[in-house]
Amino acid sequence: MRNLSAGPEQGAGEPRAKKPAAEERGRIVLSEGAPRPLFFTGKRPKRDRHSRRKVAFFHFRNYEPAFKYFTERVLDADFVPTPAPTRATLKRGEEMSADYVCTPFKHIIGDYAAALDRGADVLVQVTGFCRLNYYGELQEMILRDAGYDNFQMLNFSYVPTGKLRDYVAYCKKVVNPNLSVPRGIGGMLGAYRMVEHIDAFRDQYLANAGFEAEKGSFTRVRRAFLSDMNAASTTAQVDEGYRRAADALAALAVEKPADPVRVGIVGEYYTAQDPVSCLNLEEKLMSMGVELSNAMSISAFNLHYNAAAAQASIAEYSSYDMGPTSTFNIAAAKRYAEAGYDGIIHIKSAGCTPEIDVMPVLQRLSRDYRVPVLFLTFDTQTSDAGLDTRLEAFYDMIAMRKVR
Amino acid sequence: MKAYLGIDTGSISTKGVVIDEGRNIIARSYLWTEGDPAGAVRRVVDDLRGQIDLDEAQVMSIGTTGSARRLVGAMLEAQVVKNEITAHAVGTTFLHPDVRTILEIGGQDSKIICIENGIAVDYAMNTLCAAGTGSFLSSQAHRLGVEVEEFGEIALTSEKPANIAARCTVFAESDLVHKLQVGYEKKDVIAGLCRAVATNYLNNVGKGKKIESPIVFQGGVSKNVGVVRAFEEALGQRVIVDPDGHLMGCFGAALLAADAPKLRAEPFRFDIDHFDFRTREVVCGHCANHCEIVCVYRDAGLIDSWGNRCDRGAIKVG
Repeated sequence: MRNLSAGPEQGAGEPRAKKPAAEERGRIVLSEGAPRPLFFTGKRPKRDRHSRRKVAFFHFRNYEPAFKYFTERVLDADFVPTPAPTRATLKRGEEMSADYVCTPFKHIIGDYAAALDRGADVLVQVTGFCRLNYYGELQEMILRDAGYDNFQMLNFSYVPTGKLRDYVAYCKKVVNPNLSVPRGIGGMLGAYRMVEHIDAFRDQYLANAGFEAEKGSFTRVRRAFLSDMNAASTTAQVDEGYRRAADALAALAVEKPADPVRVGIVGEYYTAQDPVSCLNLEEKLMSMGVELSNAMSISAFNLHYNAAAAQASIAEYSSYDMGPTSTFNIAAAKRYAEAGYDGIIHIKSAGCTPEIDVMPVLQRLSRDYRVPVLFLTFDTQTSDAGLDTRLEAFYDMIAMRKVR
Repeated sequence: MKAYLGIDTGSISTKGVVIDEGRNIIARSYLWTEGDPAGAVRRVVDDLRGQIDLDEAQVMSIGTTGSARRLVGAMLEAQVVKNEITAHAVGTTFLHPDVRTILEIGGQDSKIICIENGIAVDYAMNTLCAAGTGSFLSSQAHRLGVEVEEFGEIALTSEKPANIAARCTVFAESDLVHKLQVGYEKKDVIAGLCRAVATNYLNNVGKGKKIESPIVFQGGVSKNVGVVRAFEEALGQRVIVDPDGHLMGCFGAALLAADAPKLRAEPFRFDIDHFDFRTREVVCGHCANHCEIVCVYRDAGLIDSWGNRCDRGAIKVG
């Protein structure tokens, strides 16, 4: 029979040739020639064969410091910061996505490609209650088809049980077999705190930055805060950094009228928060002199959300939950209306079905509470002339109403 | 006598009015933009100049609106640069103080403004899609070989309007071709188109809005009696079309200019023909955003620029 395997052919009867030494590599020989002890297998244990992973997230508002903290303190891996998204990133994402997919998908896959170019080898994707569940799997396939093959996906939608034990096992498998659970829990706490602080800071920022006395002073404090958060490596530093920034923000001079124009923002999880996705809508509004509040944040929707209470509060408008953030948004809009906000802006990405379901309810709310609601849809368009017109008109309208 | 100038530069047409101190329109002009807002504004300004006596009416303030408001504002050194929604609301409520709903269909966009006690309380504007606007009607008129100005009259002669799918311009167009090919009369198809525009508007922009009487319909498409009829039938209410309805945007801009806190030091002499206005697009190379920055030059001097997203792309004027 012909020997089909590669390598030099061996005739019958010849002494068996020694296999090449490839497998010998890595074997530790204690003393040359001596028999090897039985308990020593020659293979290093798995934890020592592990090379540190380089983990990247997608960009999401200003949560990057928390992602970094999570990577370094919980996963115990290196963090690769995703480059600041630009038009080129978005174009890349567009090319790799179907036209009709939700817009965040395009942003995220563009970020992934940029992160892989920077040398990341693990990409993190999260899970949710809508098409977000399929993002990770789909994006992994698309990226592999595009020629990126040296990466792994840490895709939390692969952990269907939702149990901590399974999450730990999955992270150990993909990122770091040495992951320490006690240390990880400490790190989780710090990351949790950091997310809360970043959101608390943002709320304070949105409420007052439109009235800053010295131009650019709020941005300065925000930058300092985020770089503090980026540098923090213990929970104490996280808390300390926030306290310092919150004090600095409170100390800034503002020229705020007694009864400012107040606008509340609700909408789809990613687009409503992320300034790149919504063409800097918050900054545009604040530059007109508006007190802003944005209902959506990780703290508000993931950490401190009481779904049953939110559902109960909107019982007269919606009798059941219509998808990921619908109940949350209706409840938030109702809260804004009751608090006497002058206007509400509802933001969604093109093709976001759950948020389309929210719109008729908000229209009813708008009639009942006599508060105007502006509906905005964002796709990957880059021109913001149309957005400027709508925002200016919305501002003029609610400001004129207020004067009367 | 003090006078005020308002210019509304839209995608299809450019409108201008001059009003006197009593807020009466003393000169009006309506021309096609033809893809050249700067040139159209010159023609409108020339047209207005021929209608007034410069020594008597001194234009002390200028307001601009419409999608080219910023460019035109820079050219004319306008005191007020306002978005078209506010300008329309201001203009219409001045002429019709009791109006409750403004329907507006322009060349490229359509909007609805709800008004209570003379103040805008809610508005909506079409997003992402230009279905059912003036440019759709004019491209279909071209296909049918009729002038868009005659559209309405022809539509009124129809007794059985054809049923045209209104949801999307692309579908409406293929539906229209199909109807013609199977032998529908042209007037029935045209009437069907007018009806499609009204239905499309009410289903998209007007969705969820309470449309209450008195209703004012304006914008270029309001000159089309066929669409007016279609709106009246769909709403079951009378729809008011002002003879100056197409000028409401620039009238509103002129009213806002009249209330501007700071007027011009010198009256406007309608003499922009002496200057050469040019715009130049610069692509900022500071980051991968590649912002397109528009620079407006008057003769050789830069007078304004916009389009940058951050300070790195800011071009200093002066």
